[in-house]
Amino acid sequence: MQLIYKDAIWKKEIKLGKELIDYLKKNKTKSIALFASVQFLKLDKVKNQLKELNIKINTTKAKRTEKEIQILGCDTYHDSFKENIIKNSDLILYIGDGLFHPKALLLSQRKKDILIWDPVSEKKQILTKKEITKILLKLKANIKKYLMAKNIGILVTIKPGQQYLHLAKKLKEDLEKKGKKAYIFIDNTFYWNELEGYPFIECWVNTACPRIGLDDIVEIKQPLINIKEALNTEKALEELA
Amino acid sequence: MYDLELDKVAKEIKDKKAKQVIIQLPDGLKLKTQEIIDYLEKNTKAQIFIWLSSTFGACDFPLGLDPLNIDLMIQWGHNRFYKEVW
Repeated sequence: MQLIYKDAIWKKEIKLGKELIDYLKKNKTKSIALFASVQFLKLDKVKNQLKELNIKINTTKAKRTEKEIQILGCDTYHDSFKENIIKNSDLILYIGDGLFHPKALLLSQRKKDILIWDPVSEKKQILTKKEITKILLKLKANIKKYLMAKNIGILVTIKPGQQYLHLAKKLKEDLEKKGKKAYIFIDNTFYWNELEGYPFIECWVNTACPRIGLDDIVEIKQPLINIKEALNTEKALEELA
Repeated sequence: MYDLELDKVAKEIKDKKAKQVIIQLPDGLKLKTQEIIDYLEKNTKAQIFIWLSSTFGACDFPLGLDPLNIDLMIQWGHNRFYKEVW
């Protein structure tokens, strides 16, 4: 079976509205880090508008994407991108609809708010750090529970782009060298009530989509962290300090 | 206002001589199902099926379809994905 992707490009010209231009002027913006989801990558007009305002446009390529500027929902860590353009930009500007992608940008750096231009509703929005406060608090608590746990469940998906069985095996080996016991569980989509069947598991480690160990932990009753944090708990706690 | 490129998709189905095709849509495009099916059924001879549930990204396409002899899968709303190597 062959697989074809169709990116479903937004057909209308994308143009920043007055509301957003005024905001950039008011904040005396000199540079921006520009990101968009795949449907909204035709940004010639937007780039011209920014140039007219003498705003420097910084762009990069996320490692998993095909195109420069494009962002995916899984780009939630600072090393998801080839270059750290956010550090040297006054503002982060995201072009697209919905909050799933800009929230990834917020999670990837946890410091700067995200300015959003939605070409569908033609409205400006600001996604603030408050949006991820609960996630970061729960993450910190879950990492501590992971460090204390003796019985750990490692989740592996069969979804091809998210399957990291080899990492699960590596983690199990590392944990068992430390005298802990690890169990590897395999499924397609994870339904969180399924975790209730294994009450002896004190903490779960997710090797699939990183949004599970970030957004979803707020709702999941059992402690759960992503493999990224599990492999380097010290660094993860340092970043959350 | 999203360009579904249905003419190109129909041509690809014909060029590949696909007899059975499955389409997969993210939530934001699921309302386009009828438009896509109507067009592809009218403009190709292929039997077109629809994947019912999630399409979280290019990372997420269904496995286990081999027994159904599906020749082609078309996923809208995403582009090529480069899996992170650990």
